[in-house]
Amino acid sequence: MSQPTTEIHTKITTEEIAQTFDEVAIPEDVSGFAFEDWMTLGVFWVMCGCVFLQFFTRYVLNNSFAWTEEIAIYCLVAIVFLGSAMCVRLSRHIHVDFLYRYLSPKLGRATATLVDIIKIALFSYLALLVWRYSSIIDDEKMTTIDFPKSPLFMVVMVAFILMALRSLQVMFANIRRGYSILENPAAFDAPSADAIKEA
Amino acid sequence: MLILLGGFLLLMVLGVPVAVSMVTASLAYLAVHGGAPDVIVAQRMIAGVESFPLLAVPFFILAGNLMNIAGVTGRIYAFAVDLVGWMRGGLAQVNIIGSVIFSGMSGTAIADAAGIGTIEIKAMKDHGYPIEVAVGVTAASATLGPIIPPSLPFVIYGMMANVSIGSLFLGGVIPGVLMTLFMMLTVAVFARIYGWGSDAAFEWRKIAAAMLEVSVVLGFPVSVFILEKLGMSQNGAIFTALGIVLALDYAFKFSAVMALMTPVILIGGMVLGWFTPTEAAVAAVMWSLFLGLVRYRSMTMKALAKATFDTIETTASVLFIVTAASIFAWLLTVSQAASALSNLIFSITDSKYVFLILVNLLMLFVGCFLDTIAAITILVPILLPIVLKLGIDPIHFGLIMTLNLMIGLLHPPLGMVLFVLSRIANLSVERTTMAILPWLVPLFAALIAITFIPEITLWLPRYMGMVR
Repeated sequence: MSQPTTEIHTKITTEEIAQTFDEVAIPEDVSGFAFEDWMTLGVFWVMCGCVFLQFFTRYVLNNSFAWTEEIAIYCLVAIVFLGSAMCVRLSRHIHVDFLYRYLSPKLGRATATLVDIIKIALFSYLALLVWRYSSIIDDEKMTTIDFPKSPLFMVVMVAFILMALRSLQVMFANIRRGYSILENPAAFDAPSADAIKEA
Repeated sequence: MLILLGGFLLLMVLGVPVAVSMVTASLAYLAVHGGAPDVIVAQRMIAGVESFPLLAVPFFILAGNLMNIAGVTGRIYAFAVDLVGWMRGGLAQVNIIGSVIFSGMSGTAIADAAGIGTIEIKAMKDHGYPIEVAVGVTAASATLGPIIPPSLPFVIYGMMANVSIGSLFLGGVIPGVLMTLFMMLTVAVFARIYGWGSDAAFEWRKIAAAMLEVSVVLGFPVSVFILEKLGMSQNGAIFTALGIVLALDYAFKFSAVMALMTPVILIGGMVLGWFTPTEAAVAAVMWSLFLGLVRYRSMTMKALAKATFDTIETTASVLFIVTAASIFAWLLTVSQAASALSNLIFSITDSKYVFLILVNLLMLFVGCFLDTIAAITILVPILLPIVLKLGIDPIHFGLIMTLNLMIGLLHPPLGMVLFVLSRIANLSVERTTMAILPWLVPLFAALIAITFIPEITLWLPRYMGMVR
């Protein structure tokens, strides 16, 4: 901004700006996703189906199905935990990496490995906790339909096991690669399919 | 309390994901202080997302992602060029207007900055703007995302503070307009100082066409209102008006009417009380599916799957923090952190305005260290009792908090938008910081206005009868 006199602005037309925004390719690469991600996708659209159905029954038939709401909420719980396993695999959980700009590469590597170990330990312990929790209340039923709630707890437990396994995998990938998302965030930037494949 | 907060901060700084840090600190607290069996962590985490209002989160995210692939982005920007491109600093104004429209479709700031921000910066650079200006405008206008409804932070705040999400959304409308005006004013001032010209020719015909589109879009809720007054049923009125708009669009080939309908359906639907926030989100998803699959036919199954994966990713990373926060925030209350802070504050002041100033400073500080959702889930249980005791409206407070945290995203050391933009624009963090600095002026002006004039926030929800 310090040399305002050197700026030369070229005119833009409506067509031109429309083209600038439209020529950006719509991302269609879905090859980097794992089996459990496709399962989550299925659950997601079941949830959408339930909520659409509820919307439809409420606005058009003026009489909503109560069970659609409950099923949709359980789907959401499953999506959050299964999706969280996906975030672990892709290193997309929200974290903070400013410390690593001040650490030496060696120290950074050690700290990042420690972080990986903490993640693995916590996810495994949570899987165990969910298991213990579900065995305490194994006779709980859903509110609107006569169906046990335990499958939901099983899904959450499986999701935590997946998170633990995926973070183990991520840890080994980081060690082999020599850096993790904490030390080199640019290598993991969103649109690059490489990051998805590598993780 | 030290284990809980200290442990959390330490782990977070080390780079442990925010949610994992919260749960680990909670487990450590329970292990040391006892008080409850640790199974309660599992129970709280699952119960934390078992809520109907939270269903709005994936749908708002999905609606935004679908609009991105529905083939309307180019149309929206073409419309914005027609509308404001002739002003001095035209493309900067276009950038702001584009962000406003997108804010009405999606609920996050970072996604806005990373997605369309990339193209906005490139377009501005290609047309002769210094990259610093492009980055600054994009960063500043990204903060509009969570203020203009729909907004994820509001959904989370509403859930934590137990206030109506609908009235929070309504409360965001006028502050959003105010911020937009302040930013456009800033662009106008810079344009004068640096001598930026206009970026598109001034043509009455084009502006008239753009205004016509705006009036068709705004005509939709108005005609529904009139039809209802004439005695039509609500469903009948909505579908008749929708049919008229679709027929007009088909006949006159408008450029942006269909795209602009999304925020109108979303916000108008909530303002007029047709929809709850969750239903509005679902309506927006259906509308964008209609646009992408039927009207413009630009959506492929692969693109739809990719948009769904992106939605799952964002939903999970946001709501996983909410699950972790539901145990962490509960322990914060149990461990007396809230009452300790409340005693501290009341020992300093019992004036509402001094408290608001203190809290603004605190949140600006927290906002640059902590992720927005995490900050809301931690701060609300601590601060809300004080807020209520001082007679501050929780909706007003929600607006203040969100805006503070949004501004926090822009400044170092941890502003997420700052880092995203510095990477996109290939600019060093230091230069990005300097580029954003002047744009903090309109944001702080808006923050001060919103903090000290509660009516800016509360007038609309009050007028619609949603708060007393």
